[in-house]
Amino acid sequence: MKGMTPILEVRDVSKTFDSVVQALDNVSIAVYRGEVVGVVGENGAGKSTLMKILAGVYAPDRGTLFLNGKKVSFPRNPKEAARRGISIVYQERGVIPHLRVYQFLFLGHEERYRGPFGLRKADMRKEARAILDEFHVACDTESFMYELPLATQKMVEIARAVLGIRLESRGEEVTPVIILDEPTAPLTLEERKELFASILRMKERASFIFVSHIIPEIMEFVNRVYVLRDGKLVAHYDFSKDTVTEEDLFRAIVGRESLAHILSEEESSVAPEVVLQAEGLTKNGAYYDVSFVLHRGECLGLFGPAGSGKSEIIRTLAGILEFDKGKLRVKGRDVSPDEPPYIRLARGVGYCSGESGKELFFHWSIAKNISVVNLEKVLHRHFPVIRFKREEEMAKTIVEKLGIKAPSVHTDCYSLSGGNKQKVSIGKWLERSPDILLLEDPTIGIDVGAREDIYGVLFEMKRRGIALILVSDDPKEYALLCDRILVMRKGRVERVMKAKEFQEMAVV
Amino acid sequence: MLSAILSQTWVRRNAGTLWPLLVAIAIVLGFQIANPAFLRYEGIITLIYAMSYFLIAACGLTFVIMMGSFDFAVPSVLKLAALLCVMYIGRFGFFAIPLALAVSLGIGVLNGVLLAYLRVPSFMATLGVSIVVEGIALYLSKGFLHIMYDERFRALATTFFLGLPTIFYWAIGIWALSTFLAICTPFGRRTYAIGGNLIAARLSGINVEKQRILVFALSGFLAGVAGVLYMAQLGGGSMLIGSDMSIPLFASVVAGGTALSGGSGGPHRTLLGVVIITWMQSGMLMLALGRDIQMVIFGLIAVAVAVATMDRKRTRVVK
Repeated sequence: MKGMTPILEVRDVSKTFDSVVQALDNVSIAVYRGEVVGVVGENGAGKSTLMKILAGVYAPDRGTLFLNGKKVSFPRNPKEAARRGISIVYQERGVIPHLRVYQFLFLGHEERYRGPFGLRKADMRKEARAILDEFHVACDTESFMYELPLATQKMVEIARAVLGIRLESRGEEVTPVIILDEPTAPLTLEERKELFASILRMKERASFIFVSHIIPEIMEFVNRVYVLRDGKLVAHYDFSKDTVTEEDLFRAIVGRESLAHILSEEESSVAPEVVLQAEGLTKNGAYYDVSFVLHRGECLGLFGPAGSGKSEIIRTLAGILEFDKGKLRVKGRDVSPDEPPYIRLARGVGYCSGESGKELFFHWSIAKNISVVNLEKVLHRHFPVIRFKREEEMAKTIVEKLGIKAPSVHTDCYSLSGGNKQKVSIGKWLERSPDILLLEDPTIGIDVGAREDIYGVLFEMKRRGIALILVSDDPKEYALLCDRILVMRKGRVERVMKAKEFQEMAVV
Repeated sequence: MLSAILSQTWVRRNAGTLWPLLVAIAIVLGFQIANPAFLRYEGIITLIYAMSYFLIAACGLTFVIMMGSFDFAVPSVLKLAALLCVMYIGRFGFFAIPLALAVSLGIGVLNGVLLAYLRVPSFMATLGVSIVVEGIALYLSKGFLHIMYDERFRALATTFFLGLPTIFYWAIGIWALSTFLAICTPFGRRTYAIGGNLIAARLSGINVEKQRILVFALSGFLAGVAGVLYMAQLGGGSMLIGSDMSIPLFASVVAGGTALSGGSGGPHRTLLGVVIITWMQSGMLMLALGRDIQMVIFGLIAVAVAVATMDRKRTRVVK
């Protein structure tokens, strides 16, 4: 790339909020034609601020912008940014579900298609088809947005961003630079792969800035990566030249060693006692003839693609779904197929999900969210009355232990970042210490630092003798946490793997 | 100066309480200016009588709304309990009171079971049940006016203590207990949890079905208590007791700051809401306004109060 003129370059950009918070401190990045550039960092590292400056949402305090080697002023609004060829696709809420694909593509540009009898829909459809074909997006222009798979929705959003640039730039030759702000956060593993493949096909026609905190994704997918930490540019790797390991990238992002290194050396905590046993468990249409045992202090992974039945199994164990056939025993006792979650919890089975809003009471304080499954511990000895002092102390211990960043334990949970929310979820279960804890996507959508902290807590749970069952999208998570893994396919257990075997497979 | 006061953090944090308080003060001052008799002793006694039975019923309803459900049966349960009292006190003596309360509790449990186990939305279930209860009340009373002759029974509500009638102390006592129940006990916590996030409540190990029945039972029971004491206060009544009460009841709970979406507010808030709604009604009566104007003003203020008090920033979905 050396010697070429970057199509977009910023030098020494700084931005301060409220004259105190230094969000960006002399950051410089460049984007060349036809490449995918990664920008990574933890939440609050300044990624979003930088992107919003490029997209014309914020004005920088200092810095210069070059487009195709020419010095220009920073765009003052998103429309101006689009005119110069820069557009941003946000992480979520970018799609309007009840519009048809072609309507969504031309949203905000309808005036160009105004004919004597309303909009010239035939033209809009034709041009929509043309741009979708150009970007290899396989979908019907007549479909509603909500009917499309999430990955396709993202692709349509990207196509729309490029289209917006073309329409705004009014025929001038500009090379589009599309900023993708954590585009994969809501997607499953397969959907991610599909999205990446599509984006790589589009590289000829546009350059991409890819904002993410998922390290494997970055390693596999981008040409170069810029690492931001606390508003500063701390590293820049070119994957075609530098040899970079995931550990290097991790250290650059977080600024310390990865816990995974240390934790994986830990001794096994598995005890002989069987706490949960499934025999021929079947739910028609979801999973068939699933049998396994779970020991105290063990972590069992249910691994497989979406639709393999892994989520249904873990939800069955939690009491959210019923099973049709088979036997389930918790601590030696048979349980009935249709008992609700509160009975399962009384038997010692807890369920923790990373899905946003499924488990937390957003308008409650951290303290209340932690005590909700630990009410017996905070009650008065003789009367069913909550002792607020004790509730507060309990929450403080958990907040300190897990490093939850919040002004106080009385802060409402909705104002916390994703990682901290998730830590509250995990923290309440740590305090409760059930015999068995079911984990469904415990670290989905949170940044690497928080993820590590949560792994630390899960290891502590195992040491305490809590048995874990894990369902996740991330093979690395299984490799790190699990002692045994059931590999699922189409609702059946295909094989059982020891942690070692799985780790070897995951590397390949 | 004013904006400086309004921007203080504690003002912002307590906006949910301050707004209804300001509205209440404005209403009292407004009526006082329009009618100087408003805050004289007799006027105050009228206001106390108007709000007391209402507050008891509203406390029960608050728990239901906190839980994200509706109870439209409260006025008819109140009516049935009052009529049961006046009709059977001659035959059973004071045992008519437990009878009336047991029936009210039973209707509450029925509402709860319809919601929890038959999965009928509480909106429909309680509307249906309220019509059944009205029918029973009509059958029992034959539509006549019944007069209460037992002075000891009437004394339950109308004895004066420190210058105020006993029904006021009943109401404040029940309000204080409800507040304690909502804020300081697992019962209250579970109620908020179900209203705030049903799925999370289930996953946190709450027996949602049982809690729903308990809360509806409490609402029915308190409606019964309100009916019994209201009958003691009035000394007689007909099917007219508790009619047209639904909207003011809901308005007073919402005006206090308990959102219809559930999970927030509480009985402590409802006191102010009841003061606003019932005093406004009484004030308009004292001014001898026409029924038509009363309805228009009342409707407007009910909506305006909801607009002023609701914490809409945190309410994502408005239904």
